[in-house]
Amino acid sequence: MKTAKEMGFSLCPKCHKVNKTTVEPIQCERCHGLFYQRNRNSLQYTLAWNFAALLAFIPANYFPIMIIYSLGVPDESTILSGIGKFISEGLYPIAAIIFTASIIVPLIKIIGLFVLVYRAHTGVRLKPDKHSTVYHILKFLGPWSMLDVFVVALLVAVVELGFITSVAAGPAINYFSITVVFTMIAANTFDTRLLWDKFKENND
Amino acid sequence: MIDAANIKQLIACQQCDVLYERPQLKQGQNAKCTCCGSTLIERKVDWINHSFYWSIAGLLMLLPAILLPIMGVTLGGQYDDASLFECVLALIDRGFYMIAVLLFLFALAVPTVRLVGVFYLTYSFKYQYLRPCQLSFFRAFHHLDNWTMLNVFMLGIVVAMYKLVDDTELSINLGLVTYTCWMICSTLAVQYLDQDEIWQTLEQRFGDQ
Repeated sequence: MKTAKEMGFSLCPKCHKVNKTTVEPIQCERCHGLFYQRNRNSLQYTLAWNFAALLAFIPANYFPIMIIYSLGVPDESTILSGIGKFISEGLYPIAAIIFTASIIVPLIKIIGLFVLVYRAHTGVRLKPDKHSTVYHILKFLGPWSMLDVFVVALLVAVVELGFITSVAAGPAINYFSITVVFTMIAANTFDTRLLWDKFKENND
Repeated sequence: MIDAANIKQLIACQQCDVLYERPQLKQGQNAKCTCCGSTLIERKVDWINHSFYWSIAGLLMLLPAILLPIMGVTLGGQYDDASLFECVLALIDRGFYMIAVLLFLFALAVPTVRLVGVFYLTYSFKYQYLRPCQLSFFRAFHHLDNWTMLNVFMLGIVVAMYKLVDDTELSINLGLVTYTCWMICSTLAVQYLDQDEIWQTLEQRFGDQ
């Protein structure tokens, strides 16, 4: 099986038309958009966004994400202490959902993308079919980490009962949403075709 | 063997870049890549009508979903409720600009723009109202693909309700129902779009320009 690159063709990433490879950036004949044969500097971009996401993830867990004022007394909780509260109150399903969405998913995504970039760059133990499946799972999981941000946003808006109770968002919410957005951009810049290119290069 | 001269009849896998000749598909069939197993092209059954009517339903649900209160809270005789739009306003009011912007973009603006976009495209396909500018329109449409989070916000509503139901008197309002309908309609409207056929039709009409 021949790839488009070997035959001198390039696939437009937006309209999926096969174009003849000319000088990059190539202009698509159908949608007139400019594109590159492979996402330009794909691995570097993914790595950079990923590092930024990892950095932002540290303050996201250190600072409080939500502050509940009841009768004027503030009660701060970070992501982890919030989950601890759910467990002590016996709300296990919610604790599991929040823990998955705000701790496991971002971490798996960041680690997974690091592994993918490493494998695509060095070609060590590369299984392109499995790794592209992993990539799709990572990409699917991405938006679900926004769950915690949306929950806090809803609580801030709904629970606004003056002096009795009100909810405020802590500084961690900004860092956390930065983490999520950056991992999503990192996943979008990664090009799965690089895995196959490296695999072919190794086997030839 | 692949005939390299006939470039119009070639397709390539988006995942692994393997070249194929375009297969002739009937409605409801799809072609899968033999190398990595991802779907190459898919002919969807009656996609124009499906997409068109789902997007109309979504547009009808749009305003109620955004403006009606989703849920309300009663505590100590005081009552407060919020709709999606009020959520954004309340966040701006209290100075949480970043989450206000993110909530506005991912749960409100991007889904709305996409829904209107689907409606416009399917309307022009249904009533033969094709224009060259739709090439760049559909191209721009794809930039929004990854940034709708209606389903995530839906789960957020469920979690927030679960959180509140123990300590307060929680009331579920009509907004939740309309929001759910809006989510379902707009997801299905985009789901039914047959992107390959849209691009091919547009190319046949305006390919030379």
